[in-house]
Amino acid sequence: MVDVSQHELVPEHTLIDEEEVESMLTQYDVKRAELPKIKRKDPALPDEAEVGDVVKIVRDSRTTDKAVSYRLVIE
Amino acid sequence: MSMQTPKEIGAIQFGLMDPETYRDMSATKIITADTYDDDGYPIDMGLMDPRLGVIDPGLECRTCGSHSGSCNGHFGHIELAAPVIHVGFTKLIRRLLRATCRDCGRLSLTPEEQEEFRDGLQRNEELGEDWTNVLKAAVRQARKASRCPHCGAPQHDIKHEKPTTYYEVQDVLAGDYSERIASAMQPDPDNEDDSGVSPSDLAEDSGLDLSRVNDILSGEFRPVGEDRKKLEKALDVDLTEEDMNKLMPSDIRDWFEDIPDEDIETLGIDPSRSRPEWMILTVLPVPPVTARPSITLDNGQRSEDDLTHKLVDIIRINQRFMENREAGAPQLIIEDLWELLQYHVTTFVDNEISGTPPARHRSGRPLKTLSQRLKGKEGRFRGSLSGKRVNFSARTVISPDPTLSLNEVGVPERVAREMTQTMNVSERNLDRAQQYVRNGPEGHPGANYVKRPDGRRLKVTEKNCEELAEKIDVGWEVNRHLIDGDIVIFNRQPSLHRMSIMAHEVVVMPYKTFRLNTVVCPPYNADFDGDEMNMHALQTEESRAEARVLMRVQEQLLSPRFGENIIGAIQDHISGTYLLTNGNPEFTETQALDLLRATSIDTLPEPAGEDEGEPYWTGKQLFSELLPDDLNLEFTSSAGDEVVIEDGQLVSGTIDEDAVGAFGGEVVDTLAKVHSKTRARVFVNEVASLAMRAIMHFGFSIGIDDESIPGEANEQVDEAIASAYDRVQELIEIYEAGELESLPGRTVDETLEMKIMQQLGKARDSAGEIAEDHFADDNPAVVMARSGARGSMLNLTQMAGCVGQQAVRGERINRGYEGRTLSHYQPNDLSAEAHGFVENSYRGGLTPREFFFHAMGGREGLVDTAVRTSKSGYLQRRLINALSELEAQYDGTVRDTSGTVVQFEFGEDGTSPVKVSSSEDNPIDVENVADRILDAEFSSEEEKAEFLGRKELPTNISEYAGPGLDKARSLEVESDD
Repeated sequence: MVDVSQHELVPEHTLIDEEEVESMLTQYDVKRAELPKIKRKDPALPDEAEVGDVVKIVRDSRTTDKAVSYRLVIE
Repeated sequence: MSMQTPKEIGAIQFGLMDPETYRDMSATKIITADTYDDDGYPIDMGLMDPRLGVIDPGLECRTCGSHSGSCNGHFGHIELAAPVIHVGFTKLIRRLLRATCRDCGRLSLTPEEQEEFRDGLQRNEELGEDWTNVLKAAVRQARKASRCPHCGAPQHDIKHEKPTTYYEVQDVLAGDYSERIASAMQPDPDNEDDSGVSPSDLAEDSGLDLSRVNDILSGEFRPVGEDRKKLEKALDVDLTEEDMNKLMPSDIRDWFEDIPDEDIETLGIDPSRSRPEWMILTVLPVPPVTARPSITLDNGQRSEDDLTHKLVDIIRINQRFMENREAGAPQLIIEDLWELLQYHVTTFVDNEISGTPPARHRSGRPLKTLSQRLKGKEGRFRGSLSGKRVNFSARTVISPDPTLSLNEVGVPERVAREMTQTMNVSERNLDRAQQYVRNGPEGHPGANYVKRPDGRRLKVTEKNCEELAEKIDVGWEVNRHLIDGDIVIFNRQPSLHRMSIMAHEVVVMPYKTFRLNTVVCPPYNADFDGDEMNMHALQTEESRAEARVLMRVQEQLLSPRFGENIIGAIQDHISGTYLLTNGNPEFTETQALDLLRATSIDTLPEPAGEDEGEPYWTGKQLFSELLPDDLNLEFTSSAGDEVVIEDGQLVSGTIDEDAVGAFGGEVVDTLAKVHSKTRARVFVNEVASLAMRAIMHFGFSIGIDDESIPGEANEQVDEAIASAYDRVQELIEIYEAGELESLPGRTVDETLEMKIMQQLGKARDSAGEIAEDHFADDNPAVVMARSGARGSMLNLTQMAGCVGQQAVRGERINRGYEGRTLSHYQPNDLSAEAHGFVENSYRGGLTPREFFFHAMGGREGLVDTAVRTSKSGYLQRRLINALSELEAQYDGTVRDTSGTVVQFEFGEDGTSPVKVSSSEDNPIDVENVADRILDAEFSSEEEKAEFLGRKELPTNISEYAGPGLDKARSLEVESDD
């Protein structure tokens, strides 16, 4: 089976710990539920991701080299 | 009139309405279907009862006492003889019937399951998702239960027959059960070994008594429940048939009344606001007469609104229903009337239900009932609330005027007299205000209205203008006509991007069209073949200031779509600069000054040299005069020319579309980004002026002879085509001999088609090359194609050489008759000419058959465009509706209206496409820009050092405040008398 998460077009998805989540939430002044969502079943997610976790996604960007975004894992 | 304070809406809650509330708010019960009596007075408790509000002027409302205009109207009500279903809720009713118990009304879910769905509901709300998903899941789960988990009653399936009929489907023992069992016991005729099932075998298999089995077989005993199941299992036969039990609205209402509040909550419905039984109507609210006004026709006859007609129907049936029921009419008749009442109430709410014939007017036109008033493009939401008609707007045909700046618009005097701007009279503008009023409404610039300090508005007329002018004083308001320099908003539909609506400065002109500079055609996508445009005069100081700073054409030079300039030289301007800079022609002093006379350049640079004692200037030199002194730029134009600009001097290269054109002309783009929008505006204006002078200096025209090529060239073209025909013929022969090898992934037929297309394509290209070789460099068609002003080399090829293969759906033309395209050809003729190859040129003329094929290809293009525009229009509408609630916040995130983050940084890089360099080769030299601005601003180093860190751009918000052609200087105050 192809592991989609290893494809060059799929950006890096990493789980972040609760501390980092909290600091990110305060930085943007958002509630957890106001983050963009990602489905648990999404093949780009690391296997250990659980509902309620937050993943950090680092994409390549032509203008800023790296573009960071966060998503909340939902069912 | 008293002013009402505006209030902020905190929240809007949608729910169902209690029938008791309908009664409470009703002004009157409606019992008669009649509207007016013989004397023309409204009948009491009729549909036009005066307590429902007033529409005739002069009458007083019997409920609130106010007159027509200030009375909004009041609802009445009709007591329905029997409950009916509200069509808007049929789906929800179906779901509730399926999810709840027919006996106890409770939700068929165990307490644990209920808990789970409640949690789901809460999670859904937190995540801001659609609660109907949970409702659907809960109903799906509850429907599975065959018995109620609370009272144990068996549950039946609910069948919904659209729009408003519900059945309970029950499996009951079929009437012919004994025959079914007997036939199942017969031996299989196809199987010799099968001897059938004897009653004793059956008794053994099913575990029933033999006597009982015999009773069943003789039809004396009905096997129900467990017995039936045992028999079915033993014989592998179905003994049931479906029994449909119609649920009347009253049954459904009783059923829903039993549903407890907590169970409704699990489904996401708030029971304090919406009880499910309220979805079954027992009382019908009657809209106030103000919502369905009747109109009096010229002949004195009254014509009622569609809603009134529908209400008349409802009341009539309602009365008949009651009479029949009281008279003890048979059940069948009652049911018919009930259905009829349901139909009328259904169509009163929505007259476009599928499966129901729409209620029609006597003329056959379907009635426009409640739903139809709200829905669709002309409905209340899209037609009346989102879209409004406005005052101070004008629309007329547009025409070009190259003498205007791109920021300006020529406004016909007649329009200027109609559209006004409010002047607050003060000591400083008193004289002017008086002069405007003195000029009256007919003179320009005049005034249409004045407002006294006490708030009274007076119309300025020809008669009273002199008198009124004397009274004007500080504190008055004067609505004066549009004058030169006013700011207005200008728009051309379809408004597909933000540059479709831009602000322009007014120049009042004679005649009847709006005039605009040709360089603003690309952003509006306008031409002058009869296009019309709209103009809006702004009515508040705030809007005028915003329009000036944000919306003026020069602020929209760069398109956010591709980050480059969308405004620039077009068509003749490009031909003009090309002629001026290509080959670097020389000009005498008179000629040079004439070229520059429409620009702000009034002194010539040092001459480039002397010719027979006379000084001369070159074209590149004159073009360079328009550039700022510190511009350095190097790029390759698409014609392959190396363009070099050093310190504001064009050193080498030809200025064409890639340098000054709209849609990404390098010079314009760089000026707008590195210098300023104002500088770019001045440049575009002046390039246009210079180019027009240049093209007129050289003279530029095109005629049919410019596309003709010499006879020998024609022979060469014919030769090229003839050889291509030979090659096609060869291919066909190989194919017919069955020797053609197919390309990978294609059939032999497809391979042949491809190869023929290839050969014919080559033939056209070589015809084009031959034609190109015989065109002079100064051929106007060539100049236009090379410079990018208009047309392409392909167009030239088709005009002079050969039009080439016509295609429909990307293939040679294959349609028409069986095996051939036209009856002129043999069937299965594969040759080039039989499938739409046009060997002639447009100039030489097409043969009738070629013409026909050409028309086929042309038609496809037209259809494609028509389909594309409608498709993309709808796509754009949906996209805009979805995106319109996204907003970039001050913290840099992009969020929707509920606060959900969509992007953590605008565009994931936080940059505006119009503020970044458009090519990697020419990055914006920020330090250079900063140094240049600082040097220009400060004379001494100390001042500069002192100021560093804070810098304010000079405000340049009008054509009347330089640079460029400073209009304020040339404009003297003119008195009108």
